[in-house]
Amino acid sequence: MSSHREAPEISKDPVADSTDVYAFVSPDKPNTVTLIANYIPLQSPAGGPNFYEFGDDVLYGIHIDNNGDGRADISYEFRFRTTVRDPDTFLYNVGPIESLSSPNWNRVQTYSVSVNGRSVGSGLTCPPCNIGPLSTPDYGSLAAAAVHNLGGGISVFAGQRAEAFYVDLGAIFDLGDLRPFEDLHATFGLPKLPKAAGVNATNHVNVHAIAIQVPISAVTRSGHPTIGIWTTASRQRVTLWDADRGENVNSGPFRQVSRLGNPLINEVVIAMGDKDRWNSLPPADDKQFAHYVTQPGLAALLPVLYPGVFPNLDALVKSGKPRADLEAILMTGIPAGLIKGFTNFTGSVIADMLRLNTSIAPTAPGKQSIFGLLGGDPAGFPNGRRIADDVVAIELRAIAGVTYPLIDPKFKPDAAAGLLTDGLTPASVSASPLGQFPYLGVPYSGYNEPS
Amino acid sequence: MPSHDTPSSPAEGPSRRSIIRGAATAGAAGLAVTALGGALSPAASASTRAAGSTRAAGAAAGTSHDQNAADGPIVVHVRNAKSGDIEVFSGTGQTRVRDADLAARIVRAIA
Repeated sequence: MSSHREAPEISKDPVADSTDVYAFVSPDKPNTVTLIANYIPLQSPAGGPNFYEFGDDVLYGIHIDNNGDGRADISYEFRFRTTVRDPDTFLYNVGPIESLSSPNWNRVQTYSVSVNGRSVGSGLTCPPCNIGPLSTPDYGSLAAAAVHNLGGGISVFAGQRAEAFYVDLGAIFDLGDLRPFEDLHATFGLPKLPKAAGVNATNHVNVHAIAIQVPISAVTRSGHPTIGIWTTASRQRVTLWDADRGENVNSGPFRQVSRLGNPLINEVVIAMGDKDRWNSLPPADDKQFAHYVTQPGLAALLPVLYPGVFPNLDALVKSGKPRADLEAILMTGIPAGLIKGFTNFTGSVIADMLRLNTSIAPTAPGKQSIFGLLGGDPAGFPNGRRIADDVVAIELRAIAGVTYPLIDPKFKPDAAAGLLTDGLTPASVSASPLGQFPYLGVPYSGYNEPS
Repeated sequence: MPSHDTPSSPAEGPSRRSIIRGAATAGAAGLAVTALGGALSPAASASTRAAGSTRAAGAAAGTSHDQNAADGPIVVHVRNAKSGDIEVFSGTGQTRVRDADLAARIVRAIA
């Protein structure tokens, strides 16, 4: 949940709140890319009787820019519809749900998919939420049946999944505490804390994922293998509570209320006063926010929070030099020549998009680095984003100066910069990812995870 | 909404909450009116007619409509009663008109 509850307004609207975007060349189908957009953060698996579902009144989108202008050339859009089979019961299901057509399932959600406004699928069934061994006895098979082939090499899935992002939210938002280094924290005059292992605040919770797998040839232009990816959620401009009917009435054109490309940008880079406005705009308009990237507040905070640990970063911040390294990584892609044999540059347009060079083959599972490009693995973040990539550590290290030598070889990063972590790894996630589409793991059941 | 390779119009699209807030705070006369199905309230009916006539006079801005706009609820947002700045929402469309007389009638209707 690299962008969950990241802005004041959208934090009050979970069904429209994007949490993570993943984009990678499919490891088991390397002629395709998989794009995943997660919504509805921090779901307690036992959250019945009204279990989680997509918003019927939300327009969800996954967008691709393949000409570098920060605007969508291809938009996959998803609309959901919920059907209540028996309004006279309080139950989500009246018996075991053993298939997607089970009459025991009382609250069914289906969806439609369009590409640039052209319908390519409708009446597609979401799986139910994972309730427990009596209600959803074979959840893995049930959810697998909700992978739909749309033809043309396109597969889609929309429904509940296990949260795969790992982050020590509790410590990080306690004044920038990183438990493995908290013995070095300034603590503002309060008693020192002993260093400790990280705590995965997003373990044992679920999200709702929209996943689509498409041929690379369908999303790239010839000779231009790098694409920019982001997700949006939009709502109609007017919502009124119709007390007579006991439901909301919506009207007017859809307007964007949530956006997510690179992880953690709106969460820890954009300032609070701009977060919801940032959410409403396209990547093409991001030049106005570039100063947050080139002069990141977190880079200035680290030397204050950890006195004496980041002297070189402190000097860099105080020099006022813009962080062109971060601008390249997050806003334009990395030009050729900075990292031998690698580029995901999309042009000079400043735009927050997850950039994926689709010509780079997936790294074999045993040879992957969770630190992605920083770990010498060009198939990982910031070249797209795989499910297991440690984007927290990667971005922390980059902001702390590890990547600044890309544009100033004389700069020597602080020793601690390359070690920064919140103390978590993919092993901190209890649910294992799948080896095939939609890759995110089976959601935690309410019976087993009564958090 | 996605931003395709066409010019965006961010100035046209404040957040939905700002609309609702605006309805509550747009001077003394901000309001939102909903009329369901065919049972349009007098105020909403008048606003629909006025919107059309004002557009014909070339005074409207930011118009977009869907084909079934008249089938669902119609919502009127008086952004500024004094200047007659009014938005009309229906279906997935919206129309912006400037009609001080209409705004004044709506104000009187809720007084």
